[in-house]
Amino acid sequence: MTAQAWIDGVFAGAVYALVALGLTIVFQPTRVMNFAQGEALILGSAVAYQVVSLSGLGWPAAIVVTLILAAAMGLLSERMIMLPVRMSGSRFAWIVATLAAALIFQSIFTLAYRDVDALRPPPLLAGGLTLAGTRVSYQLLLTVVVAALVMIAYDLFLRRSVYGRAIRAASHNPDTATLLGIPVRRIVVLSFVMAAVICAVAGLLAAPSLFIGPATGLLFTIKGFTAAVIGGVGSPRGALAGGLIVGVLDSVVRTEINATAGNLVVFGLLALILVVFPAGLFGKPMESH
Amino acid sequence: MPPRLTAATRLAALAAIALVLAWPFITDYYSYNASYYDGLVASAAIAAVLTISLNLAMGYGGMLSMMHTGLQLLGGYGTAYVAVRAGLPWEAGLALSVVLAAAFSALVLLISLRATYLYFGMITLAANLIVIEIGREWDAVTGGLNGVTGVASGLPARTFYYVVVALLAVAYVVQRNFVRSAAGRAAMAVRESPETASAMGIRPASAKLLVFTLAGGLAGLSGGLYALQLGFINPDVGLLDNGLIFFVGLFLGGIGTLLGPLLGVALIAVVVELGKDYAQYTTLILGVALLVAMMVIPRGIVGTWQASRFGRPRDAPSEPEEPDTEVPEGLPRVAAFDALALEARGIVKHFGGVHAVDGVDLTVRGASVHGIIGPNGSGKSTLVSCLTGFHHPDEGEVLVYGRAAPPQPWAVPDEGVTRVFQTPHLFERQSVLDNVLTGIRMPYGWIGAVLRLPRQRRHERAGRAFATDLLAFAGLAGRAQHAAGTLSHGQKRLLEVVRAVATRPRVLILDEPATGLVPAEIDALARLCRALRDRGLAVVLIEHNVEFVMSVCDEITVLETGKVIARGTPAEVRDDPAVLTAYLGRPDLVEKA
Repeated sequence: MTAQAWIDGVFAGAVYALVALGLTIVFQPTRVMNFAQGEALILGSAVAYQVVSLSGLGWPAAIVVTLILAAAMGLLSERMIMLPVRMSGSRFAWIVATLAAALIFQSIFTLAYRDVDALRPPPLLAGGLTLAGTRVSYQLLLTVVVAALVMIAYDLFLRRSVYGRAIRAASHNPDTATLLGIPVRRIVVLSFVMAAVICAVAGLLAAPSLFIGPATGLLFTIKGFTAAVIGGVGSPRGALAGGLIVGVLDSVVRTEINATAGNLVVFGLLALILVVFPAGLFGKPMESH
Repeated sequence: MPPRLTAATRLAALAAIALVLAWPFITDYYSYNASYYDGLVASAAIAAVLTISLNLAMGYGGMLSMMHTGLQLLGGYGTAYVAVRAGLPWEAGLALSVVLAAAFSALVLLISLRATYLYFGMITLAANLIVIEIGREWDAVTGGLNGVTGVASGLPARTFYYVVVALLAVAYVVQRNFVRSAAGRAAMAVRESPETASAMGIRPASAKLLVFTLAGGLAGLSGGLYALQLGFINPDVGLLDNGLIFFVGLFLGGIGTLLGPLLGVALIAVVVELGKDYAQYTTLILGVALLVAMMVIPRGIVGTWQASRFGRPRDAPSEPEEPDTEVPEGLPRVAAFDALALEARGIVKHFGGVHAVDGVDLTVRGASVHGIIGPNGSGKSTLVSCLTGFHHPDEGEVLVYGRAAPPQPWAVPDEGVTRVFQTPHLFERQSVLDNVLTGIRMPYGWIGAVLRLPRQRRHERAGRAFATDLLAFAGLAGRAQHAAGTLSHGQKRLLEVVRAVATRPRVLILDEPATGLVPAEIDALARLCRALRDRGLAVVLIEHNVEFVMSVCDEITVLETGKVIARGTPAEVRDDPAVLTAYLGRPDLVEKA
């Protein structure tokens, strides 16, 4: 068990935690587990790759473009997912709609980057430092720090701001919230946009170091989902804890045995936790549909 | 009775069957590339088998399954292992595929029985991922990342085409027979409401296990055929990305309908073939089509057709029907007239600090109508739940004809005690007749159902006749084919009572059945109660409509704040000072008036 595996695990875990946070943000007011969430991460990586590597316009441009496109993607996802969910009335509508949205985005990315194996731009911060004999690049540190800051900021937003309270009310009971004058529809739209932006930023930061292919969105969604379930869907802190557990476990097993074993352990853990602790380890239970 | 097909629909179905059967000859005649076009239809047929399986699990069972591609992979491995690694006949391989996938489905269901709806779906997702990863890893059996190649039936292509078509027909018939059997109705009842199903004597866990295992077996069959058709199987087959096409087929065709999966898959096959020059856009197009279909035809092609003017049953006469005066022959008859039917001793049920039921004794004689009245919050409904196993009393015991009542709600109807809930608990999407049939015990197993053995057909016929008689007696015969959700409130209440009677109880517990009924419906209800009493049944009536209670009941027990304050004949109870105090506060005022 090397220190390198742990560092890689914490880095990947920070990315999974951000995806888990995105899933949580959408899930709370809508009760929809958004299987298209990981596609926003691919968007961030693709923009970084396109703008920095291919067009050579530099990181500031990439960040601006990512934010704009991610917000647009959030708005679009909300329409693509919530309209069919509201109009269909089927109890399976959410899963089918989000899966369809995921595969639509996925096929767009695959069409755009047909011959690209990994969307890998040069790092935003070059160089690194040596920590206890192991090299840690600044990019990794930056990603982990940004992830932690986003978690803290969202936690504060949820607890301290008026809007955050409205979101929590809407996630408890949308009908009552509507009666109390809370614009639930607008909160839903906002949730999709926030989730997409957070995941896109994660993709932007992770792309230089993590393997992110145009068709890997669903895999990141599932890893993020695992993190969210481990942490208990609904709490940003749980998402962070879950993400780190998934990342480190995956990375350590991957180094010790092989890549498949890493996935197997993570998915086995997911199944185990779903069966044994239906409330997650740190959070409140996910209400049934 | 299944909805009768119109002549046009039947003709279209026959034409489709003829086309599929003649297809190899047609392609042979018109095309140099016949085997390609034959393979196209065969692949669609294999996809249809999997979609039928998905329809059973999700449409009829109401269980979100995200592991159907994994089951297909598992089935493919089964056949590939037997046919290639073990060198045994491919038929044995298909059998192993079915068994493997069915066993895996049963296992997943059993370990996640406690899981709620969403969690169950997520567990199947995890199971799917695990199957794929094991497939990638276990080189000796699955061939690792490359999978197994050279899987073949050894049959000529055209013969194998007919094998696939025949197995699709088998899958369709299995689905149809299952759905139209008691086991299928039980699964649908559990889908709508496990609680109501329990009150009908259906054990939710068993119903779910059966439908999910059956679906798993069909998915395994589809996987085995897939490996034989394409000649290989590898872990990528199990990826969730490949599952989209089955979801599209199911939702486009119509989830929870018999023909939906076939139509949906056929449509997709045609679209994919027409657009094969733009194959890279297939996923994009399918995804958009799915989202649009969910908005425009949320019930799919078949569901929309059935709800339309053409597919709906004829409207019933708008005049209120004259109920049948003849008491149905099949009504249960209880021999032990004088026995104590239902006995509760010292029932206590506390919710935290609330003493909902506080030491209630209740004796209900056979062949009587026993009323339980009391102000709101006096513990009537809690008492009913204690009597029927929906709540476990903190103290006390319940005896049914001298035997202790079982603790599980689904086992209570088997002892002859059936309840009707306070609020309507109908299976709204199913027909009125099917609602009643759900209540009827059918003494045959799922194998008999799937094979449609003579014994099963005999019981089904008898059950339908009984249900029709009961509906006629309640004045609901004209509505038999309508969805239960389309009835008026009063008709729904009556239907619930009819459905409970269909379980052939010895003790029938009705929780506020007369609420919201018009006088004619109250008359029908009173008639039914008296007819049942004359047959020796004990009827327990919890009711607010005092006039109705006084006219129907032989005995009345009055509850207040969880305690019995009076019991006796209607006349005795009416004059009891304690009752007057409980209802009116000041009995002295009443006596003056």
